[in-house]
Amino acid sequence: MTGPARIANGLLTDPDRPVGFRFDGRSFLGQHGDTLASALLANGVRLVGRSFKYHRPRGVVTAGPEEPAALVEVVGPGGREPNRPATTLPLGEGLVAASQHRWPTLTFDLLSINGVFSRFLPAGFYYKTFMAPGWAWERLYEPLIRRAAGLGRLQPVAGAQAAPAETIHDHADVLVVGAGAAGLAAAHRLGTLGLRVILAEQDEVLGGGALQDARWDTWRAQMDARLRRLGSVRCLTRTCVVGAYEHGVFAALETLTPAETAAFGGLRERFRIIRAQRVLLTTGAIERLIAFAHNDLPGVMQAGAALSYLRRYGVAVGRRPAFFVNNDEAYEAAIALHAAGVEPIVVIDARAESRAAERARAQGLDVHGGAVVQEARGRGRVRAVRIVDRDGRSRELEADCLLVSGGHSPWTALASQSGASLRWDESIAAFTPALDAASGCVAGAARGCFGLARAAADGDAAARALAAGLGRSAVAVAVDPALALPEDAEVTPIAPLWEVRGRGPAFVDLQNDVTTDDVRLAHREGYEHVEHMKRFTTHGMATDQGRIGGLVGSAVLALARGLPVAQVGQPRPRPYLQPLPFAALAGSDVGAHFKPKRRLPLHDAHAAAGATFVAVGLWLRPLVYSTETGWGPVLKEARRVRRSAGVTDVSSLGKIDVQGPGAARFLDFVYANTISTLAVGRARYGIMLREDGMLFDDGTVARLGAEHFILTTTTANGAAALEHLEFHLQACCPELDVVLTDVGDQWAQFAVAGPRAREIVAAVVPGIDLANEAFPFMAAAAATIAGLAGRLFRISFSGELAYELAVPAGEATGAWRAVLEAGRPFEIAPYGLDALNTLRIEKGHVTGAELNGNTSADDLGFGRLLKKQGDFIGRTLSRRPGLAAPDRLQLVGVRPLDRTKRLRNGAQLVAPGAAGTGLGYVTSSTPCVLEDGWFGLALLAGGRQRIGQRLHAVAATHGEQIEVEIASPHRLDPKNTRVHS
Amino acid sequence: MPGLRLRRPATDVVELAALSGRAGDLERIAAGRGTTLPAFGHALLKADRAAVCVRPARWLLLGPPAAPGASAAAWADACAGRGVAVDLSSGIVALDLAGPAVREVLARGCRLDLDPSIFPPGRAAATVMAQVSVILVATRAGVLLLTPSTTARHFGEWLEHTAAPFGIERAAALPFLSGDPHE
Amino acid sequence: MLRIRCPWCGVRDEAEFRYRGDASVRRPRGDAGLAAFTDYAYVRDNPRGWHLEWWLHVGGCRRLLKVSRHTVSHAIHAVGAPDDHLPPPPDGARE
Ligand SMILES: [Zn+2]
Repeated sequence: MTGPARIANGLLTDPDRPVGFRFDGRSFLGQHGDTLASALLANGVRLVGRSFKYHRPRGVVTAGPEEPAALVEVVGPGGREPNRPATTLPLGEGLVAASQHRWPTLTFDLLSINGVFSRFLPAGFYYKTFMAPGWAWERLYEPLIRRAAGLGRLQPVAGAQAAPAETIHDHADVLVVGAGAAGLAAAHRLGTLGLRVILAEQDEVLGGGALQDARWDTWRAQMDARLRRLGSVRCLTRTCVVGAYEHGVFAALETLTPAETAAFGGLRERFRIIRAQRVLLTTGAIERLIAFAHNDLPGVMQAGAALSYLRRYGVAVGRRPAFFVNNDEAYEAAIALHAAGVEPIVVIDARAESRAAERARAQGLDVHGGAVVQEARGRGRVRAVRIVDRDGRSRELEADCLLVSGGHSPWTALASQSGASLRWDESIAAFTPALDAASGCVAGAARGCFGLARAAADGDAAARALAAGLGRSAVAVAVDPALALPEDAEVTPIAPLWEVRGRGPAFVDLQNDVTTDDVRLAHREGYEHVEHMKRFTTHGMATDQGRIGGLVGSAVLALARGLPVAQVGQPRPRPYLQPLPFAALAGSDVGAHFKPKRRLPLHDAHAAAGATFVAVGLWLRPLVYSTETGWGPVLKEARRVRRSAGVTDVSSLGKIDVQGPGAARFLDFVYANTISTLAVGRARYGIMLREDGMLFDDGTVARLGAEHFILTTTTANGAAALEHLEFHLQACCPELDVVLTDVGDQWAQFAVAGPRAREIVAAVVPGIDLANEAFPFMAAAAATIAGLAGRLFRISFSGELAYELAVPAGEATGAWRAVLEAGRPFEIAPYGLDALNTLRIEKGHVTGAELNGNTSADDLGFGRLLKKQGDFIGRTLSRRPGLAAPDRLQLVGVRPLDRTKRLRNGAQLVAPGAAGTGLGYVTSSTPCVLEDGWFGLALLAGGRQRIGQRLHAVAATHGEQIEVEIASPHRLDPKNTRVHS
Repeated sequence: MPGLRLRRPATDVVELAALSGRAGDLERIAAGRGTTLPAFGHALLKADRAAVCVRPARWLLLGPPAAPGASAAAWADACAGRGVAVDLSSGIVALDLAGPAVREVLARGCRLDLDPSIFPPGRAAATVMAQVSVILVATRAGVLLLTPSTTARHFGEWLEHTAAPFGIERAAALPFLSGDPHE
Repeated sequence: MLRIRCPWCGVRDEAEFRYRGDASVRRPRGDAGLAAFTDYAYVRDNPRGWHLEWWLHVGGCRRLLKVSRHTVSHAIHAVGAPDDHLPPPPDGARE
């Protein structure tokens, strides 16, 4: 037995495959193919949750993603996942789900007292009441409101693996959204005309509205088979297009079948980014509610939903249904339920007479014309409805459910996002969209073309027009013979009806608990614009985006303002049109793939040497060749450099090859110092400014030939510096003939530094005389390094005699080993980033901490490098008077007087006894390599004038305050004798 | 049968760039050296070498492994005054992808339309995949990917992770493009 | 997400490009003085409508493109090389 309300075989359900599931701790049986909602209804479960604000009992209202009430938590091995509509949640074996917004239990909810006092909780209540004092929001109001309102609980199990997710990039000539009669006909036409089509359908099966009518079963099956045969049409079911963006880009969320989930390692949803030349929106129409007292009582449902549950799942939503309608389309449900044996059925129609009423009466249904429902009655579920007859008499009719249809609104959200204008169509009492032909078109019920045969014809016509616009009309193709379309019934037009005034709350938004009174309150308080009303009341701001009540809210507002709905309009639904897991948006860019890892060519050699790696931007660099923490191993590496020799990998520096007749002039333009005077075989330290005069980057420029330079940039700015050069070459110097090539990955580069560096390098670079006169400081040459065609530079970043050796990255390991081998007599060892920093700080070399975007060349002591002649980037603005102000933050050295005290990066420098803001701060700090105590670099107001002064370095986060002496930043070897030795 | 067959052919890579207005000169010089330079967005693939053009007036010349820098130096000499040749053999890694699932796998990272009607064999494009620069060359059996060497391991890991549901076979590093001669 | 038609590479996603600012301002001559460079570095129109922009195709051909984009609709009506004179924007810009 899979539920007492299962009265027939459903299109989607299999009676031979019962499925066990649990809801709120109780066990039930459903059928394979059920949703949680259909299985609960089959089992007679009406109460499935409490409302968000007033904790009113709520049941299933719809049969699709527009569901505003039946939102549940799914409990799985990965944790609890809230806010899943039961109406789209497939019933898997062993599904465990729970109701939301109830405390402590669903049937006994302490907070439903909010409902009794609901007149004290009108729209805007939170904004107005929970205002002061400020602290109370965090500590009191928010916890209280969260307990009371309950936004569902997102509760991952500790240690659970992140849900797998992926993004797929799709392309099509035409994206068809919605596979109802119009969408199917259109996709088929477009496909036969040779266009590449993606047909996206949020449902698990194709058919849309055509699923509701048994007369269309044959057509659906034939169309399905034809589309499968067409290689050019991809049908994506369970795929909801959740956003339309400019330039033909659409976002869609595809829910995988259990079989796919198993094949893709647990992947449940897939985010698709679809690019299409044109879009055809055949998104259908959504049945809307009517506002009357207690229209949220469990058992009040959409009329079309009752038909869906019967057709799709064989479930009767009630045994004694009452219908409340104002249009002919809604009678389909009543007639189908009647045909399935459900009786008695009573229909309350706001219109006096209609063709559908005649048809219904002929089949034995009881139709009350010219009547309205004033109130749904019952505690916890519908027991009766209070109606007002055409003669004004009020009376009560017994019923166990009330099936409502206030008409059908074209689902215009994607059209609006695609830039469509909306036009009021009086014949259907709804807005219809019109798209710019360059983006696509709207067809079928989505533009108010109701009736399946009409919609199919409209979809076909739209497809032909789109194809013509894409140049495919003249293509002669063998077209399948046209399929017979069942005839549409003749209909009497809708009589618009938005609200029946009565006693008791009448909801326009069930998920956010917004009533017609709230809408009127918004109007009274001056929130007249529909977008303001939306934000004041939160109408339409829940996960269902007010699909079934949005227009009703607009109409109530229109009435209050005394305007036609057409002039009031409706709020624009923004992406995403259905809740989207963040995991789906992140796609595969998570975990190890969150961002690329750049590995040094010698990565494996460093790892084998015991390196601890540190992430610097995208790079993984050896921090220290030890797993031991603390300064011990770092200082050991640094001392070896100061006393004998060390080698470090600087391959992460950006490297740009610059060639061509215009190369020297271009480099004069991008560097603040002169490059063109550099002799071939020489290198120079260079600084680049931004146009605003601030320092951008620094590095070395080596001239390998008259028209051939090689630049290095900082590790951090490698990509940015290349873009900076490419931009300025193309935007500002198109007349210069220059070729820029990124050779950052091509060359491995390592620095051999220390007093014994010359002997070591001489052993691996045999062909070059390294004597000081022959290969002086800042010399550069092509060289054979350990047998490889490489480059040798005499550059130092450590303050020691040093050489940088560049070899092709693919061959770097051999050269690195050769250096270590040649250095063995001198106890050479590799040194990591920490030691490198220690050495450069003592020498006063700057890195990112000082090149922070706010410093000028003068601030860092490079003022004299700026060339006097010729234009360069940043020249004019670097001369602004403000940038030469004596109180600017300037680079200085800082030395604690007490040799046992450490400096901290970020420590504020303040005058002794002074209060208020600091004079500057420590940017880089290190223990000294060969002596006791610490040394640091700092940016200090008027720093150069303060050399010799004593200040306090305050590290408030560590509760430290120490006395420091301001010094030259160049602590080590200020006369540069070591690097020139 | 696995959805994806992945191998990493060893290649020598030279980037040839024309100085202003000298692209025609380079085409003639290259022709003299037995290499046809393809039009933008195209690649010419032979059994033992390839030429790819995804930047205006620039070509990547791929060939069998050689002494580092030797072929770049030869091209530089041949093109002196008209173009620039730079060795990128160590800077670029080639990944050769074949198998029925190649496009399915690539669609999980590649923003380009790789449908054979749009991107048939012989087409080439530069783009970004898995946040890494990639040059794609459509081959008859699949796609040849060229990607920067320092992120190649990261990219390879992403590719293997993404291809796993389709089945992946890592073939030995065969000689350059020997499996997919086009001419 | 924008889709930009690179004159070289064809239509590509915005993610492949780096925005490089307002292309309607041109760098003054080196001797133009402080006021001219201050304008160049800091002063920008903020039009509601058509806007000339630099986009560097870093993820593709690495060419710099001049793009005429509408700041409300994001419509792009012309793309060219840095020295191209783009056709004037259409009247009655779509909003
Ligand atoms: Zn491009």
